[in-house]
Amino acid sequence: MPGKTPDKEPVDNAGYRGGNNKMKGKGKKGEEEKMTVVVPPSKKKDVEGDVAMDVDDKVEEEDVGEKTVADIKSNFALLDRAVALFDARFTLRALRSVSSIRKRLTPDVLAQVISETYTATSPGAEIAAGLLKAIGREEVQLGGKAGGSEMEIDSEPKAAGKNGVKKEQKEIIPEVDVFLGILTQVLLHDNKQWQQGLEFSRYLIEKVQELNRRTLDSLSAKVYFYFELFAEQLAPLPPSSQSTIVAIRPTLLAALRTAVLRKDTDTQASVIVLLLRSYLLTSHISQADLLVSHTQFPENAANNQVARYLYYLGKVRAIQLLYTEAHNHLTAATRKAPSSACALGFSQTATKLLLVVELLMGDIPDRATFRQPAMEASLHPYFLLVRAVRVGDLEDFESIVAQHGDTFRRDGTYTLILRLRQNVIKTGIRMMSLSYSRISLRDICIRLHLGSEESAEYIVAKAIRDGVIEATLDREKGYMKSKEVGDVYATREPGETFHDRIRACLSLHDESVKVCDCFGEKGDGA
Amino acid sequence: MADRQLTTLLTQLRTPSLPFPQSTTLLSKAKLLLLQLSALTPSPTVPPAHLTLAREVYELGALHSLRAKNPDSFTRYVSQLQPFYELPPASFPSPSQNQNKVTALWLLFLLTQGRYTEFHSDLEGLSTRASVAEVESDRFLGYPIKLERWLMEGAYDRVWKAMKKGEVPSEEFGVLCEVLTPQIRREIASSSERAYPNLPFLSAQSLLFLDSEGAVVDFANSRGWIIKDRTIYFPTAAELNSDEEGGGEQEQEKEASQMVIENTLGYARQLETIV
Repeated sequence: MPGKTPDKEPVDNAGYRGGNNKMKGKGKKGEEEKMTVVVPPSKKKDVEGDVAMDVDDKVEEEDVGEKTVADIKSNFALLDRAVALFDARFTLRALRSVSSIRKRLTPDVLAQVISETYTATSPGAEIAAGLLKAIGREEVQLGGKAGGSEMEIDSEPKAAGKNGVKKEQKEIIPEVDVFLGILTQVLLHDNKQWQQGLEFSRYLIEKVQELNRRTLDSLSAKVYFYFELFAEQLAPLPPSSQSTIVAIRPTLLAALRTAVLRKDTDTQASVIVLLLRSYLLTSHISQADLLVSHTQFPENAANNQVARYLYYLGKVRAIQLLYTEAHNHLTAATRKAPSSACALGFSQTATKLLLVVELLMGDIPDRATFRQPAMEASLHPYFLLVRAVRVGDLEDFESIVAQHGDTFRRDGTYTLILRLRQNVIKTGIRMMSLSYSRISLRDICIRLHLGSEESAEYIVAKAIRDGVIEATLDREKGYMKSKEVGDVYATREPGETFHDRIRACLSLHDESVKVCDCFGEKGDGA
Repeated sequence: MADRQLTTLLTQLRTPSLPFPQSTTLLSKAKLLLLQLSALTPSPTVPPAHLTLAREVYELGALHSLRAKNPDSFTRYVSQLQPFYELPPASFPSPSQNQNKVTALWLLFLLTQGRYTEFHSDLEGLSTRASVAEVESDRFLGYPIKLERWLMEGAYDRVWKAMKKGEVPSEEFGVLCEVLTPQIRREIASSSERAYPNLPFLSAQSLLFLDSEGAVVDFANSRGWIIKDRTIYFPTAAELNSDEEGGGEQEQEKEASQMVIENTLGYARQLETIV
């Protein structure tokens, strides 16, 4: 049996046992149920272990490290399972735990995990050495110096015979390699070791591409994500066209191609988003547009990726003056954004852009948007901006743009905001036209700070043509005369509105009836 | 050998008054030489000196084709220049003096073509190269940006002033402004039609920036305006459609009542299903 490498079952089984043994010591509640299937008594011990650990946590500092090691290892079992059952949900669960592990992760903890997982002779030793090198712990010996892992190995032979040690080596699946690789990336990222991080990511990507396993999909998406993050941090920083992100684009594009061919939706979605981000950072708008038109964003992509994609798409469309489209995408993006505090930055950024696009469309954003406690402070400059646009005060608008220019530039909305100037003027003219039945061009010019009377004349004429106001100009006497607002009730308007409302009521009634029917049938069935 | 030939060609090309046929032959020769140097497109192996030569050939090509009013060739040269402008400044011995000029001309060209989407996309790209304030205050780059802003606002008089002979940053801009002039005039005419009930001849002349009364008459005729007693009367929208709408009014009325009847019948039917 030990010689049969391709036969996975016994190996996997042993894996569960191994994982289970770890559980006994320091279990995670989440594992309990699955583990009990293999060895029933463990459940009891798990609970005990949990309680004991809670106490220990308070007392001993060292225990945090131990717990982290255990937490990381507990994920191996999940990955094992994901491979055995070919179910990506387990992989995702392992990835989700990264954020909680992240806070406690240190090079020493990771080194310990690596040394306990791999042995010096195992096939993964090379990878392990690479991992250790990346975190600057080359001196750590592989093969498990800690007592815990030896115990694992000790317990193994009982089930699998004398070759237990060898067995242990084989059960290290590539998913575990990559998972540890991601942890290494996280660690390097948190320690701001950008250059090492980039090199390590390159190495890891190579490994992932060599492996070509479908169970790696969601893991590799994460690998690319950190790859891009590292590249962004390296000097020269992104806006310059010599940034590292330009250099890594071919790699990402190749990854995208491969992902599409392999129907790897996780990597596909992730890489498309990364590429869009990269293009927008260097303002390669037309390339971003081409990317969007030549790729199809996977329908069943993760929600977060969809939100990001929509945001970037909205940004591209806004720059291209397609405000309606941009508005749709951005509204969807803000709605899809997770409501928890962890994604607050994204919601803020998306909301800011959405506000500007709404203004560009000639709408005035809802005041309630600015009242949300989490966003109030960061949206304040935009609030002032909206106020200026709403009143149509050109001077006020320009002073706000000058005052908060840096903020707007940082948010990447500055060029869009500059386009608002004409909207401010239009609003101003509309206000004039509503308040006065007749006003001289000179007064318009003074109030809207338009520079000259001639400009005012052309601008008003254009506003009339664009249907912003209903008025006529008198050239000789130099005034604008607003047209009398016609009687709305003489038109078809009220009838149409009435019809719309009736239709809405009727469809509501129909839907209610349908729902009632549905329940009725169900009731009958039961 | 080839680069020396190229340098002599370039000195010849630098004279702005070069007639177009001559410049085209010189340019094609220059491009052949570039091909020999394998510097047609920037690749990491091309030495900086050759890159500079290639860049200048394309820049001069763009300027010459603009002077000769050849938009296709201008577009081609500008797209060939793009990869050169994307290169880090360190790969050239000296920064290009014509880069801002060519970029500004390209932006203005996009404006005359009404390609606002590309205009704004490229503008966004510019803001990464330098700060926005720098771009706006640049003699060349600021020009198309200002024009676009005024055009959007409708401040045509300022556009007009900026397009006068002495105001354009360089001779090539004038060529594009000539293209822009009739477009602006059309814009003004279409807004005037809606804004004024009638317009005296002299006002129309100054409003439309026309040189003589004869030009006003020609222009008015071309737009179908009615001239009476030295005043232009604009046909109102209703009058324009009056010919077709003689019977149209009645039809509309009929349509309206038909709609009301249909709606009411619909309500009745729905009510029946409900009750």
